[in-house]
Amino acid sequence: MGASMLGLIQNETLKLMRRRRFLVVILILAVLIPIFTYAQFKTVQTAQERLGTSDWRSLLQQRIVDNQNRLASSRMPEEWRQWLKIQIAQQQYYLDHNIDPSAPSGVTFSRGFMDQAVGLFLPMIIVVLAVDLVSSEYSEGTIKLLLTRPVRRWKVLASKYLTLILFVSLTVLSALIMSYVISGVVFGYVGWDMPVLTGFQVVGGELDTSTVFMLPQWQYILLQYGLSWFVCLVVGTITLMVSVLVRTTAAGMGIMMAALISGTILTQMAQSWEQAKYLFNVNLQITDYLAGSLPPIQGMSLPFSLTVLSVWGIVSLIVAFMVFTRRDVTS
Amino acid sequence: MADVVLSVAGLVKAIGGKRIIHDITFEVRAGEVFGFLGPNGAGKTTTIRMLVGLAAPDGGDILIGGESLRNQFSRAISQVGCIVENPELYKFMTGRENLELFARMSGNITTERIDEVVEFVDLTEAIDEKVKTYSLGMRQRLGIAQALLHKPKLLILDEPTNGLDPAGIRELRQFIRKLAEEEGLAVFISSHLLSEIEMMCDRVAIISKGRVISVGSVKSLMEQFADQVDFQFTERSVDQGVQVLRQIPYVTEVWTLTEGHVKCKMDVERIGELNQSLVAAGAEVIGIASKTVTLEDLFLTLTGGGDAHGSEHAGTHSK
Repeated sequence: MGASMLGLIQNETLKLMRRRRFLVVILILAVLIPIFTYAQFKTVQTAQERLGTSDWRSLLQQRIVDNQNRLASSRMPEEWRQWLKIQIAQQQYYLDHNIDPSAPSGVTFSRGFMDQAVGLFLPMIIVVLAVDLVSSEYSEGTIKLLLTRPVRRWKVLASKYLTLILFVSLTVLSALIMSYVISGVVFGYVGWDMPVLTGFQVVGGELDTSTVFMLPQWQYILLQYGLSWFVCLVVGTITLMVSVLVRTTAAGMGIMMAALISGTILTQMAQSWEQAKYLFNVNLQITDYLAGSLPPIQGMSLPFSLTVLSVWGIVSLIVAFMVFTRRDVTS
Repeated sequence: MADVVLSVAGLVKAIGGKRIIHDITFEVRAGEVFGFLGPNGAGKTTTIRMLVGLAAPDGGDILIGGESLRNQFSRAISQVGCIVENPELYKFMTGRENLELFARMSGNITTERIDEVVEFVDLTEAIDEKVKTYSLGMRQRLGIAQALLHKPKLLILDEPTNGLDPAGIRELRQFIRKLAEEEGLAVFISSHLLSEIEMMCDRVAIISKGRVISVGSVKSLMEQFADQVDFQFTERSVDQGVQVLRQIPYVTEVWTLTEGHVKCKMDVERIGELNQSLVAAGAEVIGIASKTVTLEDLFLTLTGGGDAHGSEHAGTHSK
């Protein structure tokens, strides 16, 4: 008697696939990534036209010499020295391994794509996946069949959540694979070993470069997509809660879109309103910490954002389960 | 007497602080079709939602096959098959996929059982087509297949004939009788349609404003209301007539209606005798009719139903 969790997840997966939600997600990616690739291609082309066809090796050589000259000057603070040394090491690596750092590659494109996508584009895709997970059962009336089986309600919702985690993971993975494969056609399937600088810290509103180190790009990508996966998971969890709370897909979609877009707006204008940093939607641009750009609001850091997102995720999950297991089903 | 499959005792439900179900109690036995009859808004659907675990009661017990729905939810509900309101299935999937989905939720259901149920509801040909292509009657049958899949002891159907054409209604009726008589299922049907209940059910509970007003076999309920005779007097002799009627020992109840009509509960054989007494007292009788009681009369009487009838009972007297 009763159902196995695996059987329930199979059911939810079947429903999600038959509703063509995942297909829509893949189609969105399949349409947008070539467009971004083309845009990137045009940018590179324009840059090359402007700079002429000068040899990138001599340019890089020139920059290394410049940096070495600055290093030789004695009045430089120690941390600046460290920063310059790392930069020289990186540039030397490019030179030794015959890598043009400004030339795009499939891997670099994937990295740039995720930097741009994690704040709004990818969360929106996750909302498309998750927003009607529960609300559609209510609006179509199938909730009456779902909850009159010998399966406890928490188990029904848990199977939905586990299915959501599965598809969030597949979406992030698809984003990586598709951006690499599609952009690779134009930029080449290289660049996994290229060193990337990371490890920046923000101390008192200033970027601290003393802890910066070099990372092969594949490790950087792993880190970046892992963090993005977490962001997507939290957005998915919050969307699930909204899906439990509202009865219609349109309302859920509206709420989540408003939340995500207002997050983007807030990050641009909330420098003076410090409490805004506790909102989940200003903490989505999580890969910026890796790349070393200053956070939108003072006091934000990678651990801070991870904590804020975790708290939002956990609270949403608790609310979703409490409401779903206790609420009467009425028409 | 057959086993009690569904036992409801002292069911209470409040929504928004307002009590809408007051102390509902009844039992349904194996092999019987039990009708749950009441006007719209009487609390039928709310009660059914509690019976299938969609809503939590604020008081009282629901036992299904002896298991408490509150404390042993899975064990209790696994004995129930139900269609609450319309048979809402996943339209974007085929009939078979729907059944397989519910089979996975119940556990221990074989492919052979699915085929068997599909054949039973006569959907073998359309089962691999998407549900959105089904007619309402086909959806209804798929809904029943879904409800029967796990061999329940109790079948709960909420307004099952809603939206069906007359042929569909007849088909469903035969189907339900067959399930009860041949398979020994207890079938619980809610409806606001009297004819439907009258033709299908062995016993009925009549509910109004969240209370059970009467429970019994259709026949015994009708007998309670049989032997009613309607006298019509002229305007000026109504009062006199009523006075006489109240003094006759074999007239057990008298209701004053409008336009000189007075309804009595009495032995139909003694109409002539009574008429003589009325004439002797000088009451001018202008019409006598012994009425055949229908379930509809009964229903309207009990629930204080239609407004026209409701006002008639303003002058109800008992002896």
